[in-house]
Amino acid sequence: MTAQRITAAVAVLAVVGMLRAGWLHFVSEPLHDFRRERIDPRYAAIKALLPRSGEVGYVSDERVATGPFGIDASSAGTRLFEQAQYALAPLVLRYDDDHAPLVVANLADPAKLPEILLQKRLIVIAEAGPGIAVLRPQ
Amino acid sequence: MILLALLAIALSGAGLVAAGFPDRAVDRTDRALRISLGAAFGLGSWSAAYAAARMVGVSATVKDLVLAFLGAALLLAARPRLSADPTPRDPAPRWLWSLLAAACALAVAVFFEHDWRFPDGGWDAWMVWNLRARFLVRAPDLRTAFSPNLLFWAHPDYPWLVPGAVAQGFVLAGRETMAVPQMIAGTFGVLAAGVVSLALARLHGPRWGLLGALAILTVPAFPIFVSNQQADVPLSVYLACAASLIALAYARPDRPFRMLLLAGFAAGLGAWTKNEGTLYAACLAAGLLARTRDLRGTLAFVAGAVPAGALVVVFKTAYAPANDLVRFSSGAGLLAHAFDPLRWGELLFQALRRLVFFQTFALWLIAAVLALSVWVRRLPGTPVGTALFLATAAYLPIYLLQPHPLQWLFRTSVDRLILQLWPAAVLATIAALANAVGRPSRGSPRFSQVPGSPGV
Repeated sequence: MTAQRITAAVAVLAVVGMLRAGWLHFVSEPLHDFRRERIDPRYAAIKALLPRSGEVGYVSDERVATGPFGIDASSAGTRLFEQAQYALAPLVLRYDDDHAPLVVANLADPAKLPEILLQKRLIVIAEAGPGIAVLRPQ
Repeated sequence: MILLALLAIALSGAGLVAAGFPDRAVDRTDRALRISLGAAFGLGSWSAAYAAARMVGVSATVKDLVLAFLGAALLLAARPRLSADPTPRDPAPRWLWSLLAAACALAVAVFFEHDWRFPDGGWDAWMVWNLRARFLVRAPDLRTAFSPNLLFWAHPDYPWLVPGAVAQGFVLAGRETMAVPQMIAGTFGVLAAGVVSLALARLHGPRWGLLGALAILTVPAFPIFVSNQQADVPLSVYLACAASLIALAYARPDRPFRMLLLAGFAAGLGAWTKNEGTLYAACLAAGLLARTRDLRGTLAFVAGAVPAGALVVVFKTAYAPANDLVRFSSGAGLLAHAFDPLRWGELLFQALRRLVFFQTFALWLIAAVLALSVWVRRLPGTPVGTALFLATAAYLPIYLLQPHPLQWLFRTSVDRLILQLWPAAVLATIAALANAVGRPSRGSPRFSQVPGSPGV
């Protein structure tokens, strides 16, 4: 083993790594992946309707993992919840709390809002976009 | 305000480095290394001091004034007369410099491409780190950021070096622009490659420094993780700073305590960056003691970790809710997981599969394992190598016993853990290889490897 051989080996590994990164980011992803939307715009309207801090309830048509059970199967609902939490901070969202004075509805499918209202005995205070609304208990 | 913050970062970083090195910088490599270390220490101290100030109710302006004053005092007090020894000469071929330039250009391009594709950063950026920064800026009560009513996904128990820096950046910018976390993430990315590369160059010559930089920059996952604005790359920087300072200290015959103090300080900042940092600090202390039998040196390292370590203790006891791994665990669950042969088999399978996971690491992981098992294992053990081995071994029981589905947790966390350890592992492996192929020409015997010393 010499310094020259180690240099050559590292250089080969580096070239392989660079080809992989170049292929992924400048060939494969532009063809098969999409640009994510910014999180905040979806929640801009509802933010104006909510208090600036404190806690509010949160309901959704997608399940959010609150512990180890079923953690893998609930990534869509968890993502929706955490994105709302990120946008609405420092409000603390309480998942599945439908008795809070104010409840945020954040739905993947806006058509399911009437079903959620009926099921959770909530009424709409204001809608703030497709699938997103401020609710309160009946 | 911006000028004062920059002064606080620059002076505290420069002061700590001046206090940690017993001699003056001698050449460009030495200066560049100290500037890189100073930038990491300055940013970390600025954020850690912010956390301490928030907890005791001191304003950011007063905090920055105190930090700048302390940094200036350290800088003035530590004015060594002696120059350090010259950097060893083992020149790199020109084509290797060209390859490094291409790797840097590609890493920067990937950073911006990924940033464009994920404008809010990676999942953990908005779910944990930038969420925390928003809480720190927006919430009237500090404790809201660590509310037990937040779902465990927000990890309110995590330390907040990165959110602290981002939150201060938001305040200084006057708005919550994404440019702040992007700039902080980019700075830590540059430091991860810079600290390791310059430490290797300082210890063994420019060739080895370039190889270290290539081994970090061309890991396909590296620029993605930098762009994701998560805390893993900053943690890797502090681990690499600690590892570099230990290596530099034990390459000298005088083994200066002040360098080990500074190494401990870096490890402490790592503990204030992410929970795993506490594990790495403990492993470094254990590796130091095991390989050097130098109790005073180890105690100096531990003493250096005390300031940030105390911050972690205060935060964990007075603010943080229980960690999800603890909250969801039970005695029966731990026993069941420990004696479940399927779980052991699944972990072994997942680990072996990850070694050849080309998408994320190309051929780097398998090459590292080959180098360790064929060449490096024949060499004397070193403090940093032992610490990294201990940290890797510690993840075996953690993965086995934790309460989440094993496959899910492994898939979502192992790349981050590897990236946290990778820069320090590159330092340890390339330094071992450099030692194995023989000593390059040295500038001075004072900087030579001490016979029987543990090296890196």
